[in-house]
Amino acid sequence: METKNNLKAWFYLAPMLILMAVFTFYPLINAFIISFYKDYLPLANNGVGSITGYTLNNYAVIFKNQLFWRAILNTFVLAFVSVPVSIMVSLFISVSLKAIPKLKGFFQTVFFLPYVTNAIAVGMAFAVLFHKDYGLFNVVLRLFGITPIDWIGGTASWWAQMSALMVFTIWSSLAFKILVFTSGLENIDKQYYDAARIDSASKWTIFKRITVPLLSPLILYISITSLIGALKAYNSVIGLFGERLGGQPYRMITIVAFVYKYRADFAFQGFYSYAASAAIILFFITLIFSVLQTVVSRKRVHY
Amino acid sequence: MEIRMANLTKIFTSKDKKEVHAVDHVDLTIPSGKLIGLLGPSGCGKSTTLYLIAGLLKQNEGQIFFDDDEVSEMPPEKRGIGLVFQNYALYPHMTVRDNILFPLQNLKVEKEEAKRRTIEMAQLVGLQEMLDRKPKELSGGQQQRVAIARALVKKPRVLLLDEPLSNLDARLRLQTREEIKRIQRETGITTVFVTHDQEEAMSISDEIVVMKDGVIQQMGLPQEVYDHPHNLFVAKFLGNPQINVFEGDVKGGKVYIDDMHIGSVKLPDQKVQIGVRPEGFLVDDTLKSDFNFAVNLVETIGRDTTLIIDIPSDEGGLLDKKSFKVIVDASHRIQTGDLVHFTVKPEKMHLFDLDGGLLT
Amino acid sequence: MSDIYVKNEKSYKAKKITFNILTYLFLIAIAIAILIPFYWMLLTSMKSDELMRRIPPLLWLNPKEWQLSNYYRLFELVASGPRRGEPLFPFFTYMRNTVVISIITTTGTMITTVLAAFAFARLNFKGRDIVFAILIGTMMIPGEIFILTNFLTINRMGWYDIMDQSYMDVIFAMTLPFMTSVFYIFYLRQTFKQIPNELYYAAKVDGTTDFQYLLKIMIPIALPTIITITILNSMGAWNAYIWPAMITTKDEFRLVSNGLRGAFTDTGTGRTDYGQQMASSTLVTLPLLILFFTFRKQIMRGVSRSGIKG
Repeated sequence: METKNNLKAWFYLAPMLILMAVFTFYPLINAFIISFYKDYLPLANNGVGSITGYTLNNYAVIFKNQLFWRAILNTFVLAFVSVPVSIMVSLFISVSLKAIPKLKGFFQTVFFLPYVTNAIAVGMAFAVLFHKDYGLFNVVLRLFGITPIDWIGGTASWWAQMSALMVFTIWSSLAFKILVFTSGLENIDKQYYDAARIDSASKWTIFKRITVPLLSPLILYISITSLIGALKAYNSVIGLFGERLGGQPYRMITIVAFVYKYRADFAFQGFYSYAASAAIILFFITLIFSVLQTVVSRKRVHY
Repeated sequence: MEIRMANLTKIFTSKDKKEVHAVDHVDLTIPSGKLIGLLGPSGCGKSTTLYLIAGLLKQNEGQIFFDDDEVSEMPPEKRGIGLVFQNYALYPHMTVRDNILFPLQNLKVEKEEAKRRTIEMAQLVGLQEMLDRKPKELSGGQQQRVAIARALVKKPRVLLLDEPLSNLDARLRLQTREEIKRIQRETGITTVFVTHDQEEAMSISDEIVVMKDGVIQQMGLPQEVYDHPHNLFVAKFLGNPQINVFEGDVKGGKVYIDDMHIGSVKLPDQKVQIGVRPEGFLVDDTLKSDFNFAVNLVETIGRDTTLIIDIPSDEGGLLDKKSFKVIVDASHRIQTGDLVHFTVKPEKMHLFDLDGGLLT
Repeated sequence: MSDIYVKNEKSYKAKKITFNILTYLFLIAIAIAILIPFYWMLLTSMKSDELMRRIPPLLWLNPKEWQLSNYYRLFELVASGPRRGEPLFPFFTYMRNTVVISIITTTGTMITTVLAAFAFARLNFKGRDIVFAILIGTMMIPGEIFILTNFLTINRMGWYDIMDQSYMDVIFAMTLPFMTSVFYIFYLRQTFKQIPNELYYAAKVDGTTDFQYLLKIMIPIALPTIITITILNSMGAWNAYIWPAMITTKDEFRLVSNGLRGAFTDTGTGRTDYGQQMASSTLVTLPLLILFFTFRKQIMRGVSRSGIKG
């Protein structure tokens, strides 16, 4: 009986496993291998590729590359500011939604809209919003007597560009979080709130000492997944800044954009390996954060 | 502190627009410092009444007073009550100590005093060893005691308990209900608890209030309500084993079950329902009584003997049951099949009209 | 202690109302913030060239001033250059491609997911938990790693040929790497696991094979989840950008995201026609919005459930 099940099970898994072997497992191993190739030309020799040897140098090249460090800076700033801010904002929104007697569904629908949009399309809309001359933001600034800022154009400062990107990123990321937190709030037994009211707790106390602690496993989980997602920012940057990635070439480059830039230049010897090395580095970064937060969660989660 | 409810009404509307009067124009006064049992079957409105007193539900009509203060519009956080929820509702992420401290912190009680009172409460309920445990590490009975401590620590004017014993196993139930009685005696707080178990209510309450369909059926001392039920529902709800109810007639001042004469009463001729508790029968050794039957089943528990008697169907007589129960002193050595004559103790015979109303 | 029993009825009602008003104001402010980009996108798309170039920009257009010229021009055929004879923004081509890819990928994913979820949920076999753990592990890996090699694989299969890429080539290249999803397998397995064992045993006693059980019992019961996965998956193709950009050689193969960026900038003057850009953005955003409003409850429920991890 056991063997019959074994065989059968593998049949069921076969389609998935075959596809994953080709497009997931093999590429994972291959990425490591490529990162050690020397002078790699992937499409030479009829697609087999040509190398002149093996080397550890690719990683060194990356670490010496200024563009790489700019990508790290941009990505980290974006991730470590947008994630906490959007979590706090979405938490407040979810709690507010729970408190209102009517129109809940209407607001939920509106708040969810950013999720069902195309990042590039909306990114371009934001680009127009932030436009020096034609954008709404500068209209508001002028209203307050402040001189208009070039947010994303050729003369924009890094601060302006990052701010614009931050606004766009937070805007896009609220929808999912609001939905998840709303659902999480619903799972908190109403009795705890009743008990807290009997215990004379103010609304703020209830939020701080009952709601947030009871929600903390969820908050932590969302933090991890959002952080990892934010570290992989790409589509939004393309949408907002275009392929040139903002002003002085690639000013707003992110780690993923860095990988793709080198991949796109695959005709240059060795560049594909740089892409692979950068991708591996990204992998380790996200791995570190996953592990870090899992360890922290064992200690701090209030249960 | 006395609780007074005037014309209190709470209506729930279901999805198909049906209105349910969970609490229906209730006038009720809970005397100060007493332990009152609010008793009734599921859905009778007792928990709703409790929640109205607490302020967690808002009444549709009527008013609530704590002594002379009207609290009808006050939110629960201001009413100064303690509530022990049926599922205890202990904050799972806080220790026992923090659970009990919580209300004091919200009331801005000074730190040292708050600490002192917490320990005092823990001692009152016997949990001073458990202060640093989390709720999930405690048994059901212990969790409930924490809930009681938390409710009492803020020295409320009123203590409310929602079905405090229903989540406990049988053994704990007996123990805990004595605890509740003891704590109430020691603190002297006006206490109302809700239950569907009549034995529970009878055993510890100073007074009981019986409810049905949102209306109060009767209020009084447990023994009073037991001995003098105001209607058939109350008569049937109290008492274990349940009261026997017979169909009968009053003719010419005499009470008959079928044609068996069991007593006299000053009432006009009419059809009646006759309630007689199992202990309301006496064995008639003179063998003269009309009311006699062959005994079908005899159960002895040593202290007394229960006789189970079937009434043959063509003789009518009983209301929705086929047999009735009689409890007699064990000294009567009665066996299955014996023909036994009974008389009914007059004070144990309760007459009700066909709608269940008391006939006096 | 009785001083805490403040007895001011009016202040309770007033407090409550104030709180509610403030909350609503907060939510309305957020709602406006959410809607502004959409509004601006639509507004800009309806401004004629001249209106568009006004500084400061118009915040509002009378219905009388609404111009659809930007939209019309998107469908005009290009006069010269490499794309002569094609519409400026081949919206329908992109749409068609996206829909085709979406259908194929979703169908493929459904099949692999259902089969695999069944195996993990229902069947007992050696190595089941290890394999499952490994799969969960792969979810942590950034997709960028896979893309590098997959590009090479696609090339080796002959599907990426700069000279001579056929539509079939593109279809294979775009769909095959994305016909599995560990995430959906995980999600569906959860749902399958909730189907009581007793049903399985009863079916076995009745002589049902595993496959029949899957088809006739598990799938119908798990249908809501399956539908949700289908909807969510099909929405994925809409946002695909980097992969289609990498492996398509001709514009007519591109997906909807690819065509957007970079278009409408006159390389000569460097001036971007924002009106047209916004018109094309609006067009691209529209289908997904329509899908959303049709399946709103499904989509939101599915996303929230998939967000609260197992």
